[in-house]
Amino acid sequence: MDLNETAQESAFRSEARTWLEANVPTSALPSFDTAEGFALHRKWEQKLYDGGWSAVSWPVEYGGRDADYIMWLIFEEEYYRSGAPGRVNQNGIFLLGPTIMEVGTQEQKAKFLPSMASSEIVWAQAWSEPNAGSDMASIRSKATRDGDEWVLNGQKIWASRAVWADWCFGIFRTDPTAERHRGLTFILCPLDLPGITVRPIAQLDGDTGFAEIFFDDVRVPVANTLGEENKGWAVAMATAGFERGVSLRSPARFTEAVKRLIHLWKTYGDPTDTALFDAVADAWMQAEGYRLHTYQTVTGMLEGRTIGAEASLNKIFWSEMDVRIHEIALQILGPEAERMEGPSQRWVDGFLFSLSGPIYAGTNEIQRNIIADRVLQLPKGM
Amino acid sequence: MKFSFTHDQRLFAEGLRDLLSKQCTPTHVREVWENQTGHLPDLWSRLTEMGVLSMLVPESQGGMGGTLIDAVLLFQELGRAAVPGPVLEHMAVAAPALAHSQWAPALNDGTTIATLWVDTGPYVAHAQVANLVLRNEAVITGFSSTDVHGIDGGRQLFTISGGSESAASAQVFGLPASDVMALASAAYLIGVSESMIEVAAEYARQREQFGKPIGSFQAVKHLMSDALLKVEFAKAPTYRAAWSASTGSPTALRDISMAKALASEAAYRASRSTMQVHGGIGYTWEADLQLWMKKSWALMRAYGDATYHRRRVGASVLHG
Repeated sequence: MDLNETAQESAFRSEARTWLEANVPTSALPSFDTAEGFALHRKWEQKLYDGGWSAVSWPVEYGGRDADYIMWLIFEEEYYRSGAPGRVNQNGIFLLGPTIMEVGTQEQKAKFLPSMASSEIVWAQAWSEPNAGSDMASIRSKATRDGDEWVLNGQKIWASRAVWADWCFGIFRTDPTAERHRGLTFILCPLDLPGITVRPIAQLDGDTGFAEIFFDDVRVPVANTLGEENKGWAVAMATAGFERGVSLRSPARFTEAVKRLIHLWKTYGDPTDTALFDAVADAWMQAEGYRLHTYQTVTGMLEGRTIGAEASLNKIFWSEMDVRIHEIALQILGPEAERMEGPSQRWVDGFLFSLSGPIYAGTNEIQRNIIADRVLQLPKGM
Repeated sequence: MKFSFTHDQRLFAEGLRDLLSKQCTPTHVREVWENQTGHLPDLWSRLTEMGVLSMLVPESQGGMGGTLIDAVLLFQELGRAAVPGPVLEHMAVAAPALAHSQWAPALNDGTTIATLWVDTGPYVAHAQVANLVLRNEAVITGFSSTDVHGIDGGRQLFTISGGSESAASAQVFGLPASDVMALASAAYLIGVSESMIEVAAEYARQREQFGKPIGSFQAVKHLMSDALLKVEFAKAPTYRAAWSASTGSPTALRDISMAKALASEAAYRASRSTMQVHGGIGYTWEADLQLWMKKSWALMRAYGDATYHRRRVGASVLHG
């Protein structure tokens, strides 16, 4: 065990810091869930890509730096420290990208990864359906084979970034006789094809961060299948593992939020309120604990261990912590916390966003079932 | 940066687990509770032979020369078995603190049994089995002890009086005894929590109601998952605290406090949830679960409770 950075890691950190300090936009971009904000975020992603920072953990040939997981965490720390914009293509770079690297063909890697790293193509995810939410295995959208093409029909919902994104990835029922998680196939699909209708859904914060996607005889080449036909569930689970595990919510997001929380407490907090003091100290411990836990997890991955159902523990932890951090901030802000602008704006926005955490990527109740079944080996229920 | 244990560290911990699975079963622990002897003499000898008790004593002084990183998984294993007696006190503080004193040989070979009197409480745990009490700058011998009836039969509490004092240091790796014990207890509590969760999971697999194992009910699954979550997220902070303490890090005390706060709360949550999963049997003297529950209720208060340690973390990160 050595928790000091190596010389190489420190050099990497300072290189990232220098580049970010020189390049991060000086004022915050509009939300990427608006047309203008989306375009500006895509531009930022291209700048990141040109600097070689958009997908640091990817192989060099696809636009990355071959950084190991530790260096990726270091990059994330520097990224959040710099106040850089949110990652508009995170569905692609952090979720689909690693999945393509794991199960994709050489052609798919060459075709999809570089354009993903540069955000020339921004990806949306299209998994859930109106009747397949937590129960994702009851997917009904189907793909029917016609020669070298899939014909897609059905409806997806809660498709993040789908309003402005270029492509989507999702799972479709390809074997109508198979049930549940069998007979599903993972398919990549452009969002501008004939037969596709994207209907934006306004989120709790009013932005259209997700959408419904209707597929009406949409034709895509069979070459857009990721992984084996009828084995899409396993591919999707690998992607979900990345999402719940380490990639989507890196610890730096929360350690930076807690730094801001401490600043807020120093500015507005009542220093005689010991319950509030304890709450802020606890928030620091949660974020720091998540950071340490992640470093321990990725060291294990570097030593050859795989992350399995433990990823569900992470997902519950960070999503509940995120809500908690924002609740404490709103408590400190008092009457100001009723406003959507002024000193409370970022915290109120953040609070609304944090409330999605315990729901998306599999509700926390589903995660608790997974932990109980697969980590604690309790008998299957329902 | 490398946040993992070496093969040898894991292997040693596995060896200890193996020993404890034979020599410190719930039946053994219960014997100590009932015969009031306070510890298991045979196990004590085996822990001495294995080098557990002298893990933190320098090799030049006849010990294993280990660091707190080497020891932290052993504390956790000791907790898994709810080992009774002054093992932590002897191993984590007394033996290394007195490694250069006249008591060293007898502490290393286990013929002298040491315990501690730390400033975070008025009581001395395990005084009836100890021949030596280390307190601040003094060693006390020849004392008499009065039972004050601690909740944990494997960690009986006493007040002591009389005896003779001689000067000694109670520091280990430059840290006060109470902080080293906070770290050791944090790791021990993680082991205690792991066992409670395993015992309750096994019960939930076996026990049937409404014609099904109760572990198939979501209400039970979620109780158990939440208990596990707190324990799993207390581990990395505890291991980091061991690293900070071993390397003389300026944040060692803060990191120890973070570990003790999180491990204490995790252990309490685990005790409540696992008792609840046991239903009526969880409220009986007969159920082994109490051997760990009472250990958690004792150690979560000893050497500073979660509130005390959280405030120390707060004082460091909010006023820093």
